Amino acid sequence: MTTVEMPPARSVPEHTGSRLTRALGGAVLVTWTLWLLWGLVLSPADVVQHESVRLFYLHVPMAIMSSVTFSITLIGSIMVLRNGSVFWDLMAGVAAEIGVMFLGLVIATGAVWGKPTWGTYWEWDPRLTTAALMFLVYLGYLVIRRLDMDPVVRARRAAVFGIVAFINVPLTRFSVQIWNSLHQETTISLTDTQMDGAQLTSYALGMLAMATFLAWLLVHRFRVAWLEHAMDESGLEKLIRDRRAEGAANEPGGVR
Amino acid sequence: MTDDHALDLSPRTDGDAPAPTPGSRSRLTWLALGGIGLAIAFVLWQALTSATVFFYNVDEAVARQAELGDDTFRMQGTVVTEAVIAEDGSLEFEIGFDGERASIVHVGDEPSDLFEVGIAVVVQGRWEDTGSFRSEQILVKHSESYEAENQDRLTTDPSVDYDS
Repeated sequence: MTTVEMPPARSVPEHTGSRLTRALGGAVLVTWTLWLLWGLVLSPADVVQHESVRLFYLHVPMAIMSSVTFSITLIGSIMVLRNGSVFWDLMAGVAAEIGVMFLGLVIATGAVWGKPTWGTYWEWDPRLTTAALMFLVYLGYLVIRRLDMDPVVRARRAAVFGIVAFINVPLTRFSVQIWNSLHQETTISLTDTQMDGAQLTSYALGMLAMATFLAWLLVHRFRVAWLEHAMDESGLEKLIRDRRAEGAANEPGGVR
Repeated sequence: MTDDHALDLSPRTDGDAPAPTPGSRSRLTWLALGGIGLAIAFVLWQALTSATVFFYNVDEAVARQAELGDDTFRMQGTVVTEAVIAEDGSLEFEIGFDGERASIVHVGDEPSDLFEVGIAVVVQGRWEDTGSFRSEQILVKHSESYEAENQDRLTTDPSVDYDS
């Protein structure tokens, strides 16, 4: 066995947890319990949509959280172009990852909700179409962040893409007003709420549950990304990969 | 120095699981990007051909009846009459929007359970020579308002005299 002696490790954390994330984790457990209890058991069904209204308490908060994460990506992208901030580059990337996850779930729960209400899982309606486009564009953004090129150039290109991609957020949000859409218009806004008290409480708990979950996820994922970045910076991973490839090529039958 | 600080750098000999090379990983990334680009192009095509004019309201569709001919399109309106099942099994009802009405003869799958008088629907089909609209699909377009079931039922039931 070939071994090299490594210097004693610097104070690298063994996990991404901290007092903050434990507090956030506790808040996630509490808010999710209250939300599930209220949204699935205690709140009444809807006069028109009956039990399927409960999907509202999941679908809408997730949609709003995906917009929040894409806004973080926008801010991060601007900061990268302004001062080349590594912190904001990583933050923009992890926010987009979480946003794509949320948006994927929004599209999936929307399809599940669409069948009993509209009578179809999917239609090329303006809201659904712009949401699908947004999902693909941010997926593309994540792939651009994986391209094999100089990290600084890649970060700047991703930042430009991250700014342009944000056009999708208001486009999707206002698609139901701009075009004729099968999708309902806004139920809750700053000036108007078209929902009853008990249902509104379920929605508010859903928002709280998703917001704490997003914060918890964002901190953990950012810390992982920061450690990955530190590892890439050290170049150790590349050295190990080259060394192993060299060993495999020297084996009988190996590629030379 | 303990073994904790020793890093195994032995060459891999298992030919079954070669480490991915930077070149192959890069090719895969570009392939993924190309696939996403194609998917975006497809969605944009759908957006331009279908999503921007997802439906006409009844008054618009009636006004454009001659222009639309026997083209397939979608029309939106509120159900204004009870649906009646005709002898041939089709569902007949009327929808209205902004003072205009259209007679619908639906021959496709049953609409969702939310279908009833007073709810907005989007029907897909075409005008017939008879002047009615032959529908093959009914989508129920529920409103953005929500109201709890059974809320305040005891205080709003007009048949109950709460003072006695």
